[in-house]
Amino acid sequence: MGEAIWAEVLKARRSRLPWLTVLAFTVATGVGGLFMFILQDPDRARAMGLLGAKAQLAGGAADWPGYFALLTQTIAVGGALIFGVIVIWTFGREFSDHTVKDLLALPTSRTTIVAAKYTVTAIWCLALTTQTYLLGLAVGAALRLPGWTTAVAAEALAHLMATAVLAVLLVTTLGLAASVGRGYLAAIGVMFLTVFLAQVIAVLGYGHLFPWSVPAIYSQIGGTDHPTVGPIGYSLVVAVAAASVTATVVWWHTADHTQ
Amino acid sequence: MTTSTAGKPRLGATGAMGTVIKVSSVTKRYGPVVAVDRVDVSVAAGEIYALLGLNGAGKTTLIRMLLGMVRPTEGQVSLWGTPVSARQRAVWARVGYLVETPAAYPELSVRENLRLVARLRHLPDSAPVDEVIDRLGLREYAHRRARTLSLGNAQRLGLAKALLHRPPLLILDEPANGLDPAGVVEIRDLLLGLAEAGTTVFVSSHVLAEVARLATRIGIIHNGRLVRQLDTDDLAGWARPSLRVSTRDLASATDVLRRAGFHPTADGDGLTLPDEQAVAAPDEVATVLVAAGCPPTHLTVAREDLETYFLRTVGGLDGGNG
Repeated sequence: MGEAIWAEVLKARRSRLPWLTVLAFTVATGVGGLFMFILQDPDRARAMGLLGAKAQLAGGAADWPGYFALLTQTIAVGGALIFGVIVIWTFGREFSDHTVKDLLALPTSRTTIVAAKYTVTAIWCLALTTQTYLLGLAVGAALRLPGWTTAVAAEALAHLMATAVLAVLLVTTLGLAASVGRGYLAAIGVMFLTVFLAQVIAVLGYGHLFPWSVPAIYSQIGGTDHPTVGPIGYSLVVAVAAASVTATVVWWHTADHTQ
Repeated sequence: MTTSTAGKPRLGATGAMGTVIKVSSVTKRYGPVVAVDRVDVSVAAGEIYALLGLNGAGKTTLIRMLLGMVRPTEGQVSLWGTPVSARQRAVWARVGYLVETPAAYPELSVRENLRLVARLRHLPDSAPVDEVIDRLGLREYAHRRARTLSLGNAQRLGLAKALLHRPPLLILDEPANGLDPAGVVEIRDLLLGLAEAGTTVFVSSHVLAEVARLATRIGIIHNGRLVRQLDTDDLAGWARPSLRVSTRDLASATDVLRRAGFHPTADGDGLTLPDEQAVAAPDEVATVLVAAGCPPTHLTVAREDLETYFLRTVGGLDGGNG
């Protein structure tokens, strides 16, 4: 397993994608900070041209709990999209670059190759989440947000990580889609389909039972109006991940690799 | 014209060192399409077996089945007596391969691509990456990203990956693709040297002249069926002889020879007579032509080369004569 992880890390390090994902979450954290800055004093923001004269701000509080909530929601949304792109790239590039054939008849098993890919993408996503948290601490401190307590910060970290884990579990579907679709396109289609369905089903009030809505509902992105996610919802997320990883391994083993 | 096999390993189909590749009644269907149809192949240790075929004949599908990438619909493939499957990891440690166009991670350098393969093959850090870089003439490009390589150098990188762990079996799909003439000779010599040292080589190709110089045994695959197998040493026995005739008046000579019972066909600037009588007694043909007032300027008994033999074999099958 160590060799396969080393190989995946080397491939990732030499690509631009790690930097692009770091940039994406840096910008998202910064935008969250900007939102806090505006909320702190809307009149100051209007005077600085950051807010339209007639813009009305609703919801959100310019304090640490509010900022942490915003960051958690960023991870929920980013998890569906940016984490998804990471997994799609990790699997899809082998087909787009036609390198998959070099991974199929090796002393390293196909199961190990797939496991290494999922492991590295999970670590990558959790590292981005950690980055978001740490950068958020710096931005919040710079803004002198009120309401800081160690308990609030610890709870926020746990909430943020739990949201990321839920998102990481769900994007395993995209590894399967990129494998079966033998490239990026089908998996990108699946990603947008799940994001769309997650929105629609959450609006209909069944999001707590639809796995792809669970991270957003857990992060309270739509407020507290939605039914809370219960054991069934979490179990479904885990089931989706287990089924996706298993199906990916089975597919790598049994499909005819003609590409 | 016979084909020289000088320098080739001299092991027969049942070579003394045992069977390395065994393909038994293998068929692969994709829906209604039969890509490979009841193929039987046996390759002994140290042989260089060349699979010849036109594009779409089934060469790559067969190679992918040898490597466990495609599962046969029927039949069995085994390497060293072990049935091939994705789970047979021990077998893959002994196989080096190159399938279709070479692929490499474009953002990794040549050396990094090789290091990556070495790690996935569980080779020690002292794996002979530098040795294989030198062997394939990639020293100048070792630090270049793979995306900047020419097709020929990408092919060399693909071959380097196949050779990195010094495997006793090489399975190479079109190994001369993209190489310049000097590179073709270099790789041929390399493969011949490896075979002499005991490496078994299975290559597919449609470059007939190259195959004739390289292989000890040839299988011709057409429309998924292995239609002929022969030792290249025996090609002379299989290849038909014919009489080549040059004369200043081809049209008159053609008429004269037809009236004499021969079957001449125009072939470039001369005539070719496949008739046994013409091959056995070229002097009679010369006498006929001289008597008719169109004396030959050149007479040669020639044997088919591999290209002609291949085209005749495949053409005959397409014509329903096979």
